[in-house]
Amino acid sequence: MKISCAPRGSVASKHPRQGISDIAEAGFAYIMLDMSLVCPPERLEKTGNVCYGETEGREKQGSQGTIYEAIRPMLEQCEIQHLQCNLARAPYLQRDTKRRNLGSTLKQLALESIAICGQAKCKTIIVQPLLMGKAGRDIRERNRAYYLELAVLAKQENVQILLENQCGDINGHLVRGICSDGTQAAEWIDELNETVGEERFGFCLDVGACNLSGQDMYELATVLGDRVKAVLLCDSYVGSDGAMLPFTCVRQGQSQTDWLSLIRGLREIRFDGELIMDLRDTAAAFSPILRPGLLKMAKSVAEYFEWQIGIEKQLRKNSSRVLFGAGNMCRNYMKCYGEKYPPLFICDNNRGVWETRFCGVPVKQPETLKNLPEDCAVIICNIYYREIEMQLRQMGLKNPIEFFNDEYMPTFYFDRLEARD
Amino acid sequence: MLRIGVQTKNVVDDEHPEEGFAMLKRAGFSCADFSLNGYLLNTDIYQAALNRFFDASVQELEQFFAPHKNAAKAAEITINQMHMPYPVYVPDGQRELNDYLWKEVAPKSMAVCAFLKCPYIVIHGFKMMKFLGSEEEEWKRTEAFIDSIAPLAKEMGITICIENLYGNLAGHLVEGPGCDAKKAAERIDRINDRYHAQILGFCFDTGHANLVGLDFEKFIMILNDRLKVLHIHDNDGIGDLHQIPFAFTKTRENKSSTDWEGFIRGLKNIAFQGILSFETAPALTSFPSVMKQDVLAFLARIGIYFAGEIETGRH
Repeated sequence: MKISCAPRGSVASKHPRQGISDIAEAGFAYIMLDMSLVCPPERLEKTGNVCYGETEGREKQGSQGTIYEAIRPMLEQCEIQHLQCNLARAPYLQRDTKRRNLGSTLKQLALESIAICGQAKCKTIIVQPLLMGKAGRDIRERNRAYYLELAVLAKQENVQILLENQCGDINGHLVRGICSDGTQAAEWIDELNETVGEERFGFCLDVGACNLSGQDMYELATVLGDRVKAVLLCDSYVGSDGAMLPFTCVRQGQSQTDWLSLIRGLREIRFDGELIMDLRDTAAAFSPILRPGLLKMAKSVAEYFEWQIGIEKQLRKNSSRVLFGAGNMCRNYMKCYGEKYPPLFICDNNRGVWETRFCGVPVKQPETLKNLPEDCAVIICNIYYREIEMQLRQMGLKNPIEFFNDEYMPTFYFDRLEARD
Repeated sequence: MLRIGVQTKNVVDDEHPEEGFAMLKRAGFSCADFSLNGYLLNTDIYQAALNRFFDASVQELEQFFAPHKNAAKAAEITINQMHMPYPVYVPDGQRELNDYLWKEVAPKSMAVCAFLKCPYIVIHGFKMMKFLGSEEEEWKRTEAFIDSIAPLAKEMGITICIENLYGNLAGHLVEGPGCDAKKAAERIDRINDRYHAQILGFCFDTGHANLVGLDFEKFIMILNDRLKVLHIHDNDGIGDLHQIPFAFTKTRENKSSTDWEGFIRGLKNIAFQGILSFETAPALTSFPSVMKQDVLAFLARIGIYFAGEIETGRH
């Protein structure tokens, strides 16, 4: 899986050096080449023309500039910082656009963006449909010629075009739009690929768009399957369009975003594409002084998602394993993974359960761990991860120690174990 | 013209049901959605605080509801649909609770439905995706429940209607059971084929659809003649408010933020022949009680508008 950072909110298009440096310093190896950074949707809406740069009232128009010229400072800084661009986004219109006459402009921008991808060795690009409106056969037909035209250049430049689930807008209420129906989106992609005779088209799952209409992301991901090449990861508040750092849109200590269905879905399809961290609103709201720390946090959050999605990879890593903690988390491990990755035994600090069995597995005291074979992992099944890890290291244990987590299990028990002393 | 209905909650009471049904008639309704769920509240079920209303025998329940039946008849109101108490299964509930819901409440609800000569009963699908991992597994549990009451439904000539629902994530209302029209249509056809009867149909809930941004027109058209009953109500896209249609706007233009045009087009396209039934009980308590008759009349007027739009150009 490639973890990348979307630059909006963190990178200033005309002065990208600091923002790019912050992203690289945070540990990201990839950055999304977002052409909307230099050709933002609100500017397109306002001027109705191609325009680059940031300064209000000083837009260049038409042939006066190119996206490449505008984005070149960012590309140069990425090279200096060894940040790779594997995925790009073509300029797009606002969700509530009133512009109905920008078809040729958007096409020009998309073609130019694809050409830049070729130059920057960027392999994929998200291109939104040219004609918005309600998802249906009509819209599909009308966009077909557009995408097929883009595919010609995309083939020359060896770039894959990603369609993306969109929001519709009913007088300010954001609802499911084009490509939000997984079956239809899959049909659309397959039809385009069949026409061009190769896998030139794929899908980018926008978590923000799903979240706005409370869409079941498990269903969307599993219906699309391996057509999903990228996931745009962000959080948003109920009913509002935005891109915040995941796990920050909460109410009374609970997340309002359905991370469970997303993680389950991506696990199910064995997603191994590009995971893009889009936190443009959180980043923009943070002081530039604090932004480096925020971006490090964003990188950690992305890695957490990667870890959750590929949780089985970790379980496969070691030939044998022991679980630490004979409680609910252990029970969930046994329910979902016990058969496939059986533990040798379970360990617990509670002497009351030593020499008993839990979920059919013997429970032993921690001292027993000292006799483990070298490559046997100890998997901590208790939320006091760091405390237990410290205990095990202080015991002189040299075995690999891994953390297990049952927040996003494939299934759950209907009940919880009674609390024990 | 298409007939207009409304739920009985907050209008028809047990003391003087004839007054409530007469009020509906005066407002312009000819049909009613009998709120059987009001006799065993979902909030009580979730807290395992049952009131034992359904401990009564079928005969006792019939006796209890006889005045309601007579009052509806006297007012020339057809009870065309009703809502079974819900949920009928609580995932982390005690076995006794779930047995009671499944084995007592559900079959007795069917009996009351038959007694009131009501052709449709709306149920809620099980909300178990979190536990079971997928919507398909969740549906298997709902189908098992439907199978448990299907023989009764067939015998009584009742169609059980599943409804599009939502789930709740810390106040964010998200897609729940019944939000995939294609799956719903396939399941309805399969079950009806199995029983050689119209055992299962669909109840399209406009408010729930609005909360999860469904495409009304497309949804209705996929369901087509499997769509038997409606729960018409409006909200702000955030909370399940059960308010009067056209009440919510989000932009300076002040146009309705709910896709009522899509709703009308959908029903028009499938030549819907059912009842335009409102599920707007909260609107009756949010207005002063002295305005109840006016609010009901306004709702009925909106129903007439819908009917006119849906039937325009229909041959």
